[in-house]
Amino acid sequence: MAGQTDHSLSIFSAAEVEFIAEDEMIEIVPNIRMDALNLLCGDFGPFLPQIPCTVPLWLAVALKKRGKCSIRTPDWMSVEKLTQVLEAERESPREFQPLPFHYVEISRLLLDHAHDDIPEVYMVRSLIEDIRNVRFHKVESGLETISGRTHAVKLKNLSAMEVNVVRPFMARVLQAFYKHDSPEMVQQADTSASKRPQVVDRGPRVSLSCVTC
Amino acid sequence: MPGYYDISDILMEDEAVSVAFHVGANGVGLLDPGTETNSVEKGAKIDLPFWLAHELCRRRAVSITIPSCFGQKMKKDVQADAACVDLGTRYPYFYEFGCKLFPLVGDKSIGLFLRHTFANRYKEMLSKSHTASLNAIPKFVLRLSKEEYQLFEAARSSMVEFKKWRVRDLGLMKTTIVGHKRKTDLH
Repeated sequence: MAGQTDHSLSIFSAAEVEFIAEDEMIEIVPNIRMDALNLLCGDFGPFLPQIPCTVPLWLAVALKKRGKCSIRTPDWMSVEKLTQVLEAERESPREFQPLPFHYVEISRLLLDHAHDDIPEVYMVRSLIEDIRNVRFHKVESGLETISGRTHAVKLKNLSAMEVNVVRPFMARVLQAFYKHDSPEMVQQADTSASKRPQVVDRGPRVSLSCVTC
Repeated sequence: MPGYYDISDILMEDEAVSVAFHVGANGVGLLDPGTETNSVEKGAKIDLPFWLAHELCRRRAVSITIPSCFGQKMKKDVQADAACVDLGTRYPYFYEFGCKLFPLVGDKSIGLFLRHTFANRYKEMLSKSHTASLNAIPKFVLRLSKEEYQLFEAARSSMVEFKKWRVRDLGLMKTTIVGHKRKTDLH
């Protein structure tokens, strides 16, 4: 079947998703004096020592590597907040907690380059790993409930990297189910009527926002 | 035709099906190893490749009998345990073949049967494909048909790539990423 060997379902590579994530803004505290930077993406004001300012993540990491600033951890990356999120994730088996869209990439960049700026860095690292694992297992268990009648799958609050990982698999699975179901729908019109209510009230509707890319 | 240039379609259509001729055919005795004259008798039962059988069936020259892979024995195997049925070695083009065969043969239950098989095997495949590592090829992969194998590859390659990205720069600090062992992880 042509749809199964369709290579236009290619994914972004992980590095590309990281590149897109580097546009997120983050707060830094420079320790040097520098003039304003007038870039295409915006102007980043004159840097004065010890005065915090907001810059894109790629700029923050570049400055940090040269030892010209220290990065201030975003609010959501504190141990308390992450513990709360982890508890909430474990308690609700169907919903995902709201987290920044690029939390995986941001946390990885910060943990790699700015680990001395983050309080309790090992705790933060292991908490983020746990959160990621729990969310991914939720995605998998949600995917188990896809049947032939699924037109769209909605995953609310899923982050960019997680979407990227499941995108090719999910798109192919939906295509495969669609292919298998269409001619038979005419014949099993009587048996499928009883299945319909089950589809409607199923928990998280997983949205096809990934396939449209 | 969408699958005309598709290589897996071409390979799939090479599968043999058993057909019964409605009419006699001259000059094609090659197809029937048992004839003395260079022709095929009416009512003879011969194995033809699917692409040939498909065309002849459209012209109503033959009627196709359902091959064994969709027969009763297979249905019993699937009912027993869908995930253990070995589609990889015996019928790698199980689903595609069934979909092509379905409109030509009188048996309407093939469609349901295909979907039922796929749905059951899919559940088993789901968790295993994401946690499989790059080097180890779990045994169940050999049991997958071509279509299922592509699903499996898609999931596995994206997962592996993500993992590689994660430990990319860590170097000596790789051991700090300690994962909890979960029962769905494959070794």
